[in-house]
Amino acid sequence: MFSLAFLQTALLYLGYILIFPGFLFCFVIGLLLCGIDRKAVARMQKRVGPPILQPFYDFFKLCGKETIVPAAANRTTFMLAPLVGLAALVVIQLFIPVFNFRVFRNLPEVADIIVILYLLLIPAVSVMLGGAATGSPYAGVGLSREMVTVLAVELPLVLVLLSVAKTVGNALGNGLVFSLSGIVDFQAAHGSLIGRVSMIPAALAMLLIIPGETGNHPFDAAEAETEICEGLLAEYSGAPLGIYKLSHAVKMLTLTSLFVALFLGGIGTGVEHLVAAIGLTGGFAAALSLILQVLILVLLCIVLTLVTISFVHAVTARLKIEQLFKYYWTVVTGLALISLVLAWYGY
Amino acid sequence: MMNVLSYQHFPIYAIMVLFLGAFLIVLFGKNKIARSCLALLSVTGSLALLVSLVPRVMLNGEIITYWMGNRAYAGGYAIGIALEVDALSLFFALLIAVAVFVSCVYSIRYMEHDDNIPQYYTLFLMLAGGVLGLVLSGDLFNMFIMVEILTFAAVALTAFRNTARGALEAAFKYLVVGSIGSTCILAGTIMLYAQVHTLNFAQLSALIPGHLNGSTRVAFALLFVGFSTKAFLVPFHPLAADAHGAAPASISVLISGVLTKSGIYGIIRLVYFLFQSMGLRPIQFMLVFVGSVSMFVCVTMALAQHDFKRLLAFHSISQIGYVLTAVGLSTALGISAGLYHAMNHTIFKGLLFLAAGAVLHETGTTDLDRLGGLSKRMPHTTVLFLIGAASISGIPPFNGFASKWLIYQAAYLRAVETGNIGYLLVTIIALVTSTLTLASFVKVSQSVFFGRLPEEFKDVKEVPFGMRFAMSLFAILCVLTGLLPDLVTKLLSGPAAQAVLNPIRYIAAARGIEMPVENAALPQAAGAWSPINWLLLLGIALFAITLVALLGKYDQVSENASGEKLPAKYDLFFSGEKSVYSQVGGGDLFWGFKHNWRHYFSFMHDLHSGVVNDYALWAVVALALAIAFLQIVL
Repeated sequence: MFSLAFLQTALLYLGYILIFPGFLFCFVIGLLLCGIDRKAVARMQKRVGPPILQPFYDFFKLCGKETIVPAAANRTTFMLAPLVGLAALVVIQLFIPVFNFRVFRNLPEVADIIVILYLLLIPAVSVMLGGAATGSPYAGVGLSREMVTVLAVELPLVLVLLSVAKTVGNALGNGLVFSLSGIVDFQAAHGSLIGRVSMIPAALAMLLIIPGETGNHPFDAAEAETEICEGLLAEYSGAPLGIYKLSHAVKMLTLTSLFVALFLGGIGTGVEHLVAAIGLTGGFAAALSLILQVLILVLLCIVLTLVTISFVHAVTARLKIEQLFKYYWTVVTGLALISLVLAWYGY
Repeated sequence: MMNVLSYQHFPIYAIMVLFLGAFLIVLFGKNKIARSCLALLSVTGSLALLVSLVPRVMLNGEIITYWMGNRAYAGGYAIGIALEVDALSLFFALLIAVAVFVSCVYSIRYMEHDDNIPQYYTLFLMLAGGVLGLVLSGDLFNMFIMVEILTFAAVALTAFRNTARGALEAAFKYLVVGSIGSTCILAGTIMLYAQVHTLNFAQLSALIPGHLNGSTRVAFALLFVGFSTKAFLVPFHPLAADAHGAAPASISVLISGVLTKSGIYGIIRLVYFLFQSMGLRPIQFMLVFVGSVSMFVCVTMALAQHDFKRLLAFHSISQIGYVLTAVGLSTALGISAGLYHAMNHTIFKGLLFLAAGAVLHETGTTDLDRLGGLSKRMPHTTVLFLIGAASISGIPPFNGFASKWLIYQAAYLRAVETGNIGYLLVTIIALVTSTLTLASFVKVSQSVFFGRLPEEFKDVKEVPFGMRFAMSLFAILCVLTGLLPDLVTKLLSGPAAQAVLNPIRYIAAARGIEMPVENAALPQAAGAWSPINWLLLLGIALFAITLVALLGKYDQVSENASGEKLPAKYDLFFSGEKSVYSQVGGGDLFWGFKHNWRHYFSFMHDLHSGVVNDYALWAVVALALAIAFLQIVL
């Protein structure tokens, strides 16, 4: 059992979980996206804005601050919820392929897109339970709104995923493809899904879903600093608050890279051939092409963040919760539905 | 002559042990220890007998046919009373035995302060024996007799705490509509007997498909509606809410985990065996339609509830809707997924009802608007409740997700296979219903276990060990069946699904003909989900993050000193509305959602009048619709 090969594999997977594409990668790129978003919004509003590294400073500063547990709170839940939420997000990131790179290339796939849909609920639920455990009335209101936001986003997201599964299945002639790496493989061979007519509405819907899932402006009724003092986070301070802020940043990365995997999966997959074309082979070439693919992914994530989160943030005002719900179940769902119907009839 | 200890006798022993226990408790039930021992002995015996049949029936595919008094056939017709146990029967019997066992363990501490406890255990065991007899029976008329036994035991147990507000009314409603259902089953049985002159299941299954005429179609509708009332499918759902609201929690476990399953079992036997009609699209449509409507209507009804147990009751039917929908897909994957979900539903709903019972036991109320903050006073119950809530809401890696995930796959595959857009809609409804379920359990967590602890519950204590033990059993099962979906499919739901798809073997077995097991490959889902690997990854990630956090002094926290509540005179206003304080009322917690659906909710509100005449009328209308539908399309 404890042969050298086993140890090597174990270390490799530990590396995946802790460094790339797991914890460290999520930490750095997530907070970077967050910083870019803040800077971009500031520039769009003609402010100077914080330095790009500000979220890192914020995080470390929060970690050094005192953590106060409210007297009415359930301490275990209060302290554990942020950690579980972050861990769940990091694990989701492992399931999202970086173009040709897969953590589970040699193993059976762990989770398909339907599973990922429900895994995405775990961070939301842990935020809600952590907030509810404080016993604060602000958290009560925040919880109500957070849950309604989740409900609102869920329907269009389901439709988007089903239509992607159906489109890829149609093209391959085997009905359905739920596997995310299957979807990316397909795009590597046949070009990105965004190039298909039937997928354009779904991609638009997904772009609108991203700020809803991350709870960014104008879909941030659940946090609404100015009216309910950040709702679920009202009683949080110190390191647990820092971890929530980090989770929020990681969620931006998770959703944008999910978008890349679903719709832009073909963009970075040619890099290997490119590297081979300039005459490189062996381990160095593999490393170079991985680095290039990661760079492309990060660039795409930054662009997507700017488009879906920063730009939308800068030009809109916060929606009320019932408006938010209505918006998602009419406009966004409508877009996703168009895609599903088109996919259903084979376009 | 068979040896009295040979395994062929085990099914009848499993039923007899329960009834015997019931009668002995009448005789010796005055003594507290004697009655607890008797009740525990009979439920344990019954469970052990059934478990011992698993290798033969589930793995080897044997079908046990047992004729009482060894009287089988006369003139080519089965006249004897038969028990016929195939994998499907045993699957449901095991669910029932496990739920009965756990509920019995829980009852010992839970019911100790009630009056008339011997009668409680007698009825409890009668109910258990009735349901077990129903699923093991190989004879339609015996099935009806068992339906009668269990309905009346259930009605009596619903009103067991008859001093509680609404208990008698709930029992009365249940009695009225339940009797309509039983009558339907009886009438259907008679009509079938008049046509084919036999009551034996296997023989009926052999004869009816060739005798499909006006009368048998009406019989089909009658039986379908009859079993639907037992499963509380829409439009019989209001009864379940009332009954669960009034019954003791241990009985709610049986009503939701066991009684509704007997209805589902009846429907499966009816459509897949008696009429072998699942090849027909109208029947598929009927099952999937009723299932999806139940699924959606009941989850929205649950969102509007203010009472913990009523909320659970509506979810119970919503989950049964999932089961019926999956079974109605009539693919191997669908049936296996549906049965898997039926099993999981028994487990997680049992756990949730027991948690509700624990709250009621300590606080005396299940009103979501009055409760709050119990997690500090009842930490174990809270953790157990959260496991149950995560399971029913389909949060990975618990069991509800494992089976729902299979149902989504099955429904969407079916949609793609047939090109029928209706199945696509069903998939979407199933996916969204799961999130709505999550919403209402978030509401319960917030309103009961988290949030602010009201003054009146300051001194609430944790429930006794016996009750926590029973809940832990269910919680462990929730985790195990969620983590090992392949094992469950291989051992339990897979063989049962194979049995459903092979009615010919069932028919032959009653004639003593052993047909070979067709080892058809177990259905494969289109996607991938391996809970163990996911849990491993999560475990490592969580461990690493926690380690870093602890090294960074994450656990050095200061309690909020100023959190001590000041005397009431420092509050600005402290009486009136303030004293019945609830942060956001239970029923209105998700008003952002309800506001957009206000027309739907007000329609539903008007529809559910709570008048038994209306519900009886619904039953009659449902019957008329079922008859008309089958006469027109079949």
